[in-house]
Amino acid sequence: MLPANNNIKDMRVKMITLWINDKQYQAAEGQSVLQVALDNGIEIPHLCYHESLSSQGSCRLCLVEVTKGSKTIMTTSCTYPAMEGIKVQTDTLEIKKARRLVMELLLPLAPDAPKIKALASELGVTEPRLGPEPENDNCIKCGLCVRACDELVGAHAITFAGRGVARTVEPPYDEEAENCIGCGTCVQVCPTECIVMEDQGMERRIDKWKRTLKLKACKNCGRPFITFAEIDFMQTKAKNPPPEEWFDYCPDCR
Amino acid sequence: MHSTSVYAVKTLPRKEYFASGHRACPGCGEALAVRLVQKVLGRNVVVAAATGCMEIVSSPFPQTSWEVPWIHVAFENAAAVAGGVEKGLEVLKRKGKIKEQKISVVAMAGDGGTADIGLQALSGAMERGHDMLFVCYDNEAYMNTGVQRSSSTPFGALTTTSPVGTQQKGQLTHKKNMAEIAVAHGIPYVATACPSYPLDLAAKVQKGMDADGPAYIHILSVCPSGWGISGDATIKLGRLAVQSGAFPLYEVENGKYKITVDVEELLPLEYYFKPQRRFRHLSKEMTGQIEENVRQKWQELKKRSEGD
Repeated sequence: MLPANNNIKDMRVKMITLWINDKQYQAAEGQSVLQVALDNGIEIPHLCYHESLSSQGSCRLCLVEVTKGSKTIMTTSCTYPAMEGIKVQTDTLEIKKARRLVMELLLPLAPDAPKIKALASELGVTEPRLGPEPENDNCIKCGLCVRACDELVGAHAITFAGRGVARTVEPPYDEEAENCIGCGTCVQVCPTECIVMEDQGMERRIDKWKRTLKLKACKNCGRPFITFAEIDFMQTKAKNPPPEEWFDYCPDCR
Repeated sequence: MHSTSVYAVKTLPRKEYFASGHRACPGCGEALAVRLVQKVLGRNVVVAAATGCMEIVSSPFPQTSWEVPWIHVAFENAAAVAGGVEKGLEVLKRKGKIKEQKISVVAMAGDGGTADIGLQALSGAMERGHDMLFVCYDNEAYMNTGVQRSSSTPFGALTTTSPVGTQQKGQLTHKKNMAEIAVAHGIPYVATACPSYPLDLAAKVQKGMDADGPAYIHILSVCPSGWGISGDATIKLGRLAVQSGAFPLYEVENGKYKITVDVEELLPLEYYFKPQRRFRHLSKEMTGQIEENVRQKWQELKKRSEGD
């Protein structure tokens, strides 16, 4: 796992030189190859990478060929750190073939997701290699939601469970996710839109995490605007928590 | 996604393509909107910007706030230039002069450059079906030259050319519904957005960029100087405009209406009008009349979004 690195503008960071597609680029030490490529306008398809999160390399779409010394390997660019003097190829025939294979295997997992479909047609994949999964929940197990919950929110509400084909993203013990605060970050970050969050009256439901949360109503206009769990979470986690009365009114009435 | 969560917005891109240090007024809603739009558009983009506030504040010679290719064009032809750029890129790709890649072409203009002066060029570009995105930053008057009325100014608003006196009480006509005009062209994607709802705005820009053909996004940019509010009330005013029904947020995808920020019960329009200097002269009856009009339009929109 490569941690998220965003201190590119920090002048104290050591700069290194590497080659991507026979062109020389400068990069900050600690950046991944994918990050350097994207920063310089080189498109590499990716699904499980997010710049604010650590890289896991689970979607396998960002494959590139890296030559270090005399050795050439095909690897995921999101987990490969940029190093002095390495040569990276992002668009060779072998890579295209490998990416197509990955996409053919991803497609049956989420045949209805618009983003996956668009990316598949971009890569030239029309037919999935396997038939659709019998119990299809559109999840490609990229792990973005798990990482976002851990790193951006810090709630640690969801986790991976099972191994191999039985691997799923679920709340602990497949029961109601008690740490979930209903902030919606997982919904926002999901590439296949398989997590659905719904507000019904004074309740917020996230069925995938088996979670139902109570919403707090504004004292002035009476409309629900935040979950009680999120207020508690902010009060306990924040360095300088806002006073209790701050959450009495919604942002429109404050 | 329009929850008030502070965590979900962290998923927006970190890289800034609209540099700070520009000369917009403190609390400018338009600069905020441009920043969010640029974040989503990324670096593979060509921007054609019409004359207006944003051109003035972001490009004082010899500096610029734009970290992407940016062309300043005359007031009336932002859409025409963007259309030309789109066709030009197509030719360059066909001839092999540049690599085959996705380059978005975006035209930006204020409400004057869209609804008044630039309407002809915009209509032409939408009719010809260029694969481009037109973003209108609507601050409801010609703010750059000193608050003159435009066709986008709402009914009753005070501007320097729609004064309040014995003969006339502010703007005499209703706001031109630009989004409906864009829908009437039968283009694949039309939306209204507001920087007070950043995730909603980001999703809409992404959809507009991905749409195959012309897309139009109408963004309400709260203007503290022109509307007579304090600079820290920008976000709040944007939210109130949406929650009171004065500026409903919806999208039209291939003719299918969808309200993206649904409001169960509209707030009284007074909440939105009261902090603004430009509506201070309105009497209770006049506000009531405008509110009736707003609610009627909201009901029509609701009916359309539920219709199919």
